[in-house]
Amino acid sequence: MSEQQQGQDEQQPMDRPFDGIRVLELAEGISGPYASRWLAALGADVVKVERTTGDPSRAFGPWPNDLPSDETSGLFLYLNGDKRSVTLNLETSDGREILRELAQSAEIVIESFDPGYLASHHLGYSELSAGNDALVMISITPFGQTGPNANLPATELTLYAASGQMWLTGHPERHPLKNGGSQPSYQAGLNAFAAITGAYYGAVMHGQGSYIDLSVQETYAGMAEAFHTRASQLGIEAQRSGNNLNALWGVYEVADGYGGICALPRNYPAFAQAVGLEELQDERFSDPGQRLLNNDELMAIMYSWFAGQTRQGLLELGIEHRVPFGFVATVEDLTNSEHLQSRDFFATLDHADAGSLTYPGRLWLSSVHDWKMGRAPRLGEHNMEVIHGELGYEREDLVRLRELDAI
Amino acid sequence: MFDPGRPLSGIRVADLTMIWAGPYGAKILADQGAEVIKIESPRAWDNIRTLLPPPVAPGEHWWNTNFYFHEYSRNKKSLSLDLASDEGKAVFSRLLAHCDVVIENYRTDVMDNLGLSYEWLREQREDIIVVGMAGFGKTGPEQDAVGYGPIIEMMSGMTSTSGYGDDGVPYKSGISYGDPIAGICAAAAVATALIQRKRTGKGQYIDLAQREVMSTLLGEFYMDWSMNRRLPEHMGTGHDWMSPHNVYPCAGDDDWIAICVRTDGEWEALKRAMGAPQWAERAEFSDQILRWEHRIELDELVAAWTSERSKTDAFAALHAERVPASPVWKMLEVLRDPHLQARGFYEPIRHPEVGIWVAHGWLWRTHGGDPCIVGPAPDFGQHNAEILGGLLGIPQAEQAALETAGVIASRPEGIPLASEMPATPSLI
Repeated sequence: MSEQQQGQDEQQPMDRPFDGIRVLELAEGISGPYASRWLAALGADVVKVERTTGDPSRAFGPWPNDLPSDETSGLFLYLNGDKRSVTLNLETSDGREILRELAQSAEIVIESFDPGYLASHHLGYSELSAGNDALVMISITPFGQTGPNANLPATELTLYAASGQMWLTGHPERHPLKNGGSQPSYQAGLNAFAAITGAYYGAVMHGQGSYIDLSVQETYAGMAEAFHTRASQLGIEAQRSGNNLNALWGVYEVADGYGGICALPRNYPAFAQAVGLEELQDERFSDPGQRLLNNDELMAIMYSWFAGQTRQGLLELGIEHRVPFGFVATVEDLTNSEHLQSRDFFATLDHADAGSLTYPGRLWLSSVHDWKMGRAPRLGEHNMEVIHGELGYEREDLVRLRELDAI
Repeated sequence: MFDPGRPLSGIRVADLTMIWAGPYGAKILADQGAEVIKIESPRAWDNIRTLLPPPVAPGEHWWNTNFYFHEYSRNKKSLSLDLASDEGKAVFSRLLAHCDVVIENYRTDVMDNLGLSYEWLREQREDIIVVGMAGFGKTGPEQDAVGYGPIIEMMSGMTSTSGYGDDGVPYKSGISYGDPIAGICAAAAVATALIQRKRTGKGQYIDLAQREVMSTLLGEFYMDWSMNRRLPEHMGTGHDWMSPHNVYPCAGDDDWIAICVRTDGEWEALKRAMGAPQWAERAEFSDQILRWEHRIELDELVAAWTSERSKTDAFAALHAERVPASPVWKMLEVLRDPHLQARGFYEPIRHPEVGIWVAHGWLWRTHGGDPCIVGPAPDFGQHNAEILGGLLGIPQAEQAALETAGVIASRPEGIPLASEMPATPSLI
């Protein structure tokens, strides 16, 4: 290879793991779009099939200056970067036919319809994978495709309750609490991303695809940590522990906000040294068994010590002594974080309607690929490009399809 | 024959992870069919084995038995190997030739301190895929910060979004939420790197910061900050436009049910489920906006209905009318949730010193799949002979010498049998 050729090679864009892979997204809301958002950033061509009125997440805020618009929902923009939008009405035969044609060229299909909807429209896995044996398809629904609750409608709150997570969260003397935001849906989206990447690897290696049934409730119940297996092995019920499992595991108020500590027994010597209070050397605290018996006393010491700390001071003390200290950071703190900026965690993108916005821009850093970040599509923005340009429908067909309410 | 439920079969993983986040990720790889070899030193074993001393951990060999360890390490194999010694490192080098993936969640500096840098690992196996899961990542001014799940959750922005709303106090999750989230993502990172290796023939290094993964679950809050310089308010269990939307007390001890109404249709369904009470016809509850404006009073009226019945009776009435609702399942109850039981979500796990209990099976299920749990978490060093003798062909005499030198062991060093130790209080 000549020097000149080598120079050209170096200027080639980095190879991304999903370059040239087509993902058909029939999913709305958070879970499916979150998963395919990262597939798009890893190089996949994600064709997002929207109902003619658009993914309902377009109607959820926040919006710039609180002015609602279908094209500038912050939730939608975050979850749908780099995708192409095609509108299809699957209640029409033309819409269904176009979907079948799109599926022929897809390696991955992600859907979130009510259980049974696609099958009843002859768009189930067996139909979509006909002639496309390596197709990986995942259905993401609140309770999965089977079982007595399969068709029960759900919200973030009811899924939080159904998974057992809610019972564990909040103050023991108050009602169970929910996490902020939409954690059931987001964590399910991350699980879906893991499910799809694993299944697609199998399809690449063996030429055989698969159909995956993912239940939001199950993925969330699967992370009940020690609490459900303690219940099953020893029959012990868990109690809400609020912000403090014990004195050295929890959240405390500090001078400029909230901070925290999570120390296992093996972290105690470094912790005691970092805090520097002489009484922490007493056996009633330094001995792991006695420490739990004297938890209330230790907690009182911790309350007063933390009150004199600052958030940044705690983090620095933790770094210096290798003690798990931290603070309750806000998205403002994180957006401004020198650490995260130095690791290129954020991407700032211009959008004609929404302006310049700063997004979390990747999941991890790889030594061989970057993450592509582009703006989210307008509703039906790629109808012409995909249906006319790629599937070969005539322009007049698009007019007819629109008039038939198919696109 | 290829089993689509175990798409990673044929992949071998050297699992150096400890405690929660890493083991959760390696568990998902094992569930997907990868051969995951959990490597622990006789002097620095996975701390989670011994976090819960007897009587919490049953059996004489209690470092092998507790539920906490099994939760993260079922379906894995165990090799005890001291990676800090030259002999151990030599064995590890031979093992790496047979491995596709190395995964670790040590503090940022530990792998380099052990002489196990990415460069060294690559010298042993050129296309190795290495995943490092340090909490804050391997670069940047905060790279040396340390933290378990709740610290990750606090530092990711998550904790700041949760709270009752009336006291200004942020609340952490009931679990170490940062850990499973990072673990799931690590499993995805491994599969992604395998896909890319198939395309290019090359391995890679993955720097996966647990805090960053968790932070991606806060998209709308980042957007609101970027768009409007606004931080989220604590919503408790309420909602910014739905009502009813809350947890309501039921008859029973600390029993609750979550009920949400998103549309006028669901409001009509809720009224039917409650037996069409007169008060529900009042003008101030006649549309969504009015219901939200009168949500405090409405919550009290719904609570009066739920308080008179068990959460399962209330749920049955709501389920029949398809109102979004769920009992707030406690841990003993979620294990018996009729829906999860019908789907076979919990599977039996058997251990000779414990007997049978259940743990969650497939996190997602592939059509036609077998049960997820193939075996319990491995006893310490259980697969030493199989891996050293079978896979690497190390003669028995040499294995014995390694054991004598303390490079491998069948028991963590200095850990007494249960019958030899006094009972101590458990951490949880």
